[in-house]
Amino acid sequence: MKIVIDGREIEAQPESTILEAAQAAGIFIPTLCYHPAFGGQGHCRMCMVEVEPPLRLVASCAHPVFDGMIVRTTSPTLEKIRQTLVMLLYRRAPASELMGRLKADYLARAELWVKDPMESCILCRLCVNACQSLGPSAISASLRGTQKRVTTPYDEPSPDCIGCATCAHICPTGAIPVRVENGQRFIWNKSFELVHCPLCGEAFATREQLQYTAAKSQELAESPLCERCRRLEAAQHWGELPL
Amino acid sequence: MTIPEASLSTHRILVCCGTGCLANGAWEVYQALRSSLQGQPASVHPVREAVATGCHGLCARGPFVRILPDDIVYCQVQAGDVAEIVASTLEGGPPIKRLLFRDAQTKQVLTRPEDFPFYRQQHKIVLRNVGEIDPTSLQDYLARGGYRSLEKALLMEPDDIINEVISAGLRGRGGGGFPTGVKWRACAQASGAPRYIICNGDEGDPGAFMDESVMEGDPHSVLEGMIIGARAVNASQGFIYVRDEYARSIICLQKAIEDARHAGFLGDRILNSDFSFDVELVRGGGAFVCGEETALMASIEGSIGEPRDKYRYPTESGLWGQPTLINNVETWANIPYILDKGAAHFASLGTAGSKGTKVFSVVGKAVHTGLVEVPMGSSLRHIIDDIAGGAPWGRQLKAVQIGGPSGGCIPEAMLDLEVDFDSLTGAGAMMGSGGIIVMDDRTCMVEVARYYMEFLAGESCGKCLPCREGIDYMLGILTRLCHGRGTEADLERLQDICTTLQAASLCNLGKTAPNPVLSTVKYFREEYLAHIQEHRCPAGICRDLTTFSIDPDLCNGCTLCLKFCPVDAIEGAAKQVHVIDQTRCIRCGECFEQCRQDAVVIGGR
Repeated sequence: MKIVIDGREIEAQPESTILEAAQAAGIFIPTLCYHPAFGGQGHCRMCMVEVEPPLRLVASCAHPVFDGMIVRTTSPTLEKIRQTLVMLLYRRAPASELMGRLKADYLARAELWVKDPMESCILCRLCVNACQSLGPSAISASLRGTQKRVTTPYDEPSPDCIGCATCAHICPTGAIPVRVENGQRFIWNKSFELVHCPLCGEAFATREQLQYTAAKSQELAESPLCERCRRLEAAQHWGELPL
Repeated sequence: MTIPEASLSTHRILVCCGTGCLANGAWEVYQALRSSLQGQPASVHPVREAVATGCHGLCARGPFVRILPDDIVYCQVQAGDVAEIVASTLEGGPPIKRLLFRDAQTKQVLTRPEDFPFYRQQHKIVLRNVGEIDPTSLQDYLARGGYRSLEKALLMEPDDIINEVISAGLRGRGGGGFPTGVKWRACAQASGAPRYIICNGDEGDPGAFMDESVMEGDPHSVLEGMIIGARAVNASQGFIYVRDEYARSIICLQKAIEDARHAGFLGDRILNSDFSFDVELVRGGGAFVCGEETALMASIEGSIGEPRDKYRYPTESGLWGQPTLINNVETWANIPYILDKGAAHFASLGTAGSKGTKVFSVVGKAVHTGLVEVPMGSSLRHIIDDIAGGAPWGRQLKAVQIGGPSGGCIPEAMLDLEVDFDSLTGAGAMMGSGGIIVMDDRTCMVEVARYYMEFLAGESCGKCLPCREGIDYMLGILTRLCHGRGTEADLERLQDICTTLQAASLCNLGKTAPNPVLSTVKYFREEYLAHIQEHRCPAGICRDLTTFSIDPDLCNGCTLCLKFCPVDAIEGAAKQVHVIDQTRCIRCGECFEQCRQDAVVIGGR
């Protein structure tokens, strides 16, 4: 179907969201909580766009396209909204590099009082999504309103957490502390023993993580290799095959 | 299968067991009455029967006992009064004067409810059975004509039922005011099965208890409405979502569902027709946001109660992605009445855009706080002054908060506004579910706005950024203002944030959250400015900005304030001018409330 974004007519896939259609056409819409792996969540509202007819503001990550739709990704109203959103979010998470950069980009006012100068979580919940789709759903957004935060059930070490640290890797602000010490990985108030790669010796994954992925893929390697060695081994294997 | 005939005994003694009266000892009254009546020989009297009913409405004067057929109403009855009632009134003696209702304005003593200004000016449709029947008795509901509308609906084409609701002009009573029949049609036309029916009983606005009164006073009317709705859109399963705090609603609804199943009004092949439908009760976990329909559905599904973007309506993709018809308790309770009396009769009441009646819970600084049902288009002044008796003695009506945290404050000067969905939205408030909080001159409007932001800061689900962070930001500014540390730039900041919240929030909780702030800034700007520029709280509520002092010219030395001061900060002897020791005063305002000479003066910091 045909839609118009910022004066450009583009062909959009039916059932896709405005954001997906714009991205496919190379048109930029700012987002904070969107990830191509999980789709739109509608949390950050940075992706609000103007849509016609009838004229209204919608979250482009959640709104489906319709034939003849006219979209504007920027306008004085939208810029004002984004500026306010950045100001509010900076106030929440001033310790993050990302928010510092956005604050400069959007010329957002710095408020005299921030909530917690050490806070860097912007509550985009990409970590929760990642843990839900790749892992065992060990973390979630807990509590309500201004108390909302991402944590394990009852803030206790989660029996489900496999220490894969995917949450920490996907986090855009580095808000999830993870550290490695003496062959142990510490994350979410829990420590995990790291398994060494039998070839290169690198401590690359937790035992629970390997068991979890093995159960999921129903393939249990005797002594799993790290990602780099696994690739090397595969390359060698293919190389030895007669052409 | 036909509905069995039932009738109500003429000699009933109705004891109001609404939540308010229960809290004041109504259950003990009911028990005492029951055991006294058991001892009465049936040969002497017509058999008198004690009935525990739902809310009678005049909560300010509960517990209520209404004696039929004489129709004598006793107020503020305690268990200790029962023996006298049985020995005297039931024996044909004169009414017990001290238990009768005394009108605060006219000083008249009134016996029959139809003489009470409070009842006389109401028009009951939704509350037609509340207070008249035992909510746990299906027989009582049948005796009042219950389930006759369902019988009628089963003989109608689904389309005709929908047309009837459309021409009645009924609009959703949950707050938004969306035309109910149009919603039904959208659901009926959506493709997919199974389809679901939901009753939203997650009433959570501060000061609101309309839905609670219906659920615990007349649960079958809600159920009957739902079954008719299910028949109209061909749904197979219904859910009633009730907040867990409503313990009595849950008991009454559960009993109603079981009785209805047993009698063939629910389950397979209802009343021997080819239509099957059942209802399940879901207890909410206490989140205000679950009153928002998409959050409510997420909660029923077992997920966190967070709303989702509503670019596809629930009628198309609702519970578990299926077509879902969700209406509020009061909306459902209207349905049997509409089918019974006809759409034209219903539409003859109300205004051009809003038909029928609306139930309001009137709380706060009014004489007769309670539950009121009036035709749409009644003025706020009529509801508050004529029905609820106006502000208490010596106090001035200042504003009315209507519509809960999504609503706004309407100043006294605008109380002649005829209340319907559109007029309230135009005035910057909202019908909401119908909670009215009456505020007098001892209410600080800045503090009111701060209170609502504090409420919402805890009740926002915290999912979307503007609502979660914006409300917290507004709460910060309003707290500063209440402490006298605000600036005029703060008012602009509030305006900015409000615009963003209205435009960018995910659900209606966030979109309407600015209303308490915007309406108070609009109508009570001088009060905000007094806080900012003069460091003064005109109502004498914000403690950092208030001092109380005694005007020596007016004080007659009656010692009343001195007796009530909780910290002994007032000095003076009888018939001598009193003085407040500012170092000890905690600025509670008790002296101001007590003084009959208006000698206590509110000053700034």
